[in-house]
Amino acid sequence: MITYAYYPGCVAQESGKELDNATKFIADKLGINLIPMPEASCCGGGVIDGFDKNLKLFINGRTLALAEKDGLDIMTICNTCTLTLSEVNEELINNPESLEKTNEYLAKIGLKYSGKVKVKHILYAVRDDVGFDKLKEKAVKSLKGINIAPFYGCHILRPSSTVKFDDVENPRGFEELIKALGGEPVSYGRRTKCCGFQTILVNEATSTSLAGNAIYEAQEKNADVMVTPCPLCHLSLDTYQTVAAKSINKKLSLPILHLPQLIGVALGGDYSEMGFSRHNVSLRGIMAKVRQNEI
Amino acid sequence: MEFKVRAYRFNPEIDEKPYYKEYTVEDYPGMTVLNALIKVKSELDGTLSFRRSCRSAICGSCAMKINGISKLACKTQVSPEIEKFGIINVEPLANMPVVRDLIVDQESFFDKIKEIKPYLLGQREDEAHNHFHVLKEGEKISQPVYYRPEFQNLTGNNDTPNCILCECCYSECGGVVGNPRYLGPAALAKLYRYSEDPRDNDKNGSRLVNGSKPDGMWDCVHCQSCEEFCPKGISPVKSIVKLHERTIKNSITFSAGSKHVVSIAKSIGETGRLDEIKVAFDSGGISGLINDLPMAFGAGLKGKIPPLRLKLIKDMDDIRLAYKELDLEEK
Repeated sequence: MITYAYYPGCVAQESGKELDNATKFIADKLGINLIPMPEASCCGGGVIDGFDKNLKLFINGRTLALAEKDGLDIMTICNTCTLTLSEVNEELINNPESLEKTNEYLAKIGLKYSGKVKVKHILYAVRDDVGFDKLKEKAVKSLKGINIAPFYGCHILRPSSTVKFDDVENPRGFEELIKALGGEPVSYGRRTKCCGFQTILVNEATSTSLAGNAIYEAQEKNADVMVTPCPLCHLSLDTYQTVAAKSINKKLSLPILHLPQLIGVALGGDYSEMGFSRHNVSLRGIMAKVRQNEI
Repeated sequence: MEFKVRAYRFNPEIDEKPYYKEYTVEDYPGMTVLNALIKVKSELDGTLSFRRSCRSAICGSCAMKINGISKLACKTQVSPEIEKFGIINVEPLANMPVVRDLIVDQESFFDKIKEIKPYLLGQREDEAHNHFHVLKEGEKISQPVYYRPEFQNLTGNNDTPNCILCECCYSECGGVVGNPRYLGPAALAKLYRYSEDPRDNDKNGSRLVNGSKPDGMWDCVHCQSCEEFCPKGISPVKSIVKLHERTIKNSITFSAGSKHVVSIAKSIGETGRLDEIKVAFDSGGISGLINDLPMAFGAGLKGKIPPLRLKLIKDMDDIRLAYKELDLEEK
């Protein structure tokens, strides 16, 4: 059994609890041992260096040091948390001055960081530590006949010098996972583009047009459902879908799953275990299809 | 080895709509996409139009979409593209209107570069070297400003001056896709570069104030595409984030974007967590809240509502100490 320090990030503990629940459900089924990190703080939502660069280093250096103290790598379920922790890790490993400054702070709270921790997003933890073949073996429902549009988002792909999970120009991890579960991956141009979340409270029109156009393109390619590995993308794509439809003046009605929910459904999770009642766009149609696909 | 070039074609004077045309080209070791296009133009179809000049990744003329990604044709080799995609699919850069085939109208891009005033403002009174004059006999040339420690110690300016204005970042920018008026990565990286220059005499902080207006620095969506796809290894997004930090440290916080960042920092300093409700309120104010009310109400009905009062993280004093150590408590 593989063990990770589990860093769910803020949204999965607040408005997106269904993601946290689905993650714990699949981790249990797949033999991933998740150690909670109750001391870990928010990573800064991808914008904290715009306030103070050293604050980003200190609070995230602390999170990395907490995992290192327990001899664990960190598993994330949010793209932005993944990039922020990876950026800080990279800076502390490669810049002795930043490491020294951060360790001076960490020493005052009884911690030390030496750069041993790896940060991995759940998509790639499932690929590398469980394996898609084993995932297929464990599935009790097939996603056969369901057109699934993967929406990678930005921060598990870019910048590829920092997050090195997949081929940034033509990533395949998500598609391979969907195929392993029997689903049909939908190929569309905006699968690696931005959902706009970072400006949703700053310039809603910019933000929602990005999300809206991604959903529209996937719909036009006959997607039954879209899946995202990031709770921030999920807010843009699902919670704001009605606003996004108005923004691009198109009819949108595409259910949006969190990645662990997609895996959870294949592993036998039901409607309430996956928290589907919390979604804006109904998932009843998808669940009706899955129910017929007993393996 | 033979391979296919699939080129976007559009001549607005003749064509009703764009179309693609395929050409078969013979590869040779080290062949670039630009080599292939020149071969097509000289041997197969003289009507194919594209910009090119230096062939050395210096002039930035031959930027285009190659297999969906904005790249310099002269810097992109054919064989790895064929290995990955099986074809050379060439299209014009995005976010700008097409003039013909692979040539785009660059006016909007350069208008935005001009808008940030890409030159030193005013003149510092203590900069005697700026007064050009004929050297008197025996007079030595004063040390150029570039060799002064204050210039060399500039943070973040190691890369921005290397920009060749090729527009790859602009073509890939999520912010420009969502808002065509957004200044974009190249212009904002230049804005940061000038705002940091010790020779610049921007007495009233006009660069940071103007850059904070709508369609400016706070419209960056942080998609990281500008850094990822810059053929010169520049990271405009990192310059934009430094611009954010500089703006907030100078108390220029009238924009929703700066309020958003300050609110997140405040929320972490108080609870260790991101308070979704408070950050939404602080960023958009009452009008933002009213605007989002139907969406929030819908989410609330589904139970998708964040807690009104957040539980502090364990060992919250650690985080408070970080703020104290960095002297950020008052901000």
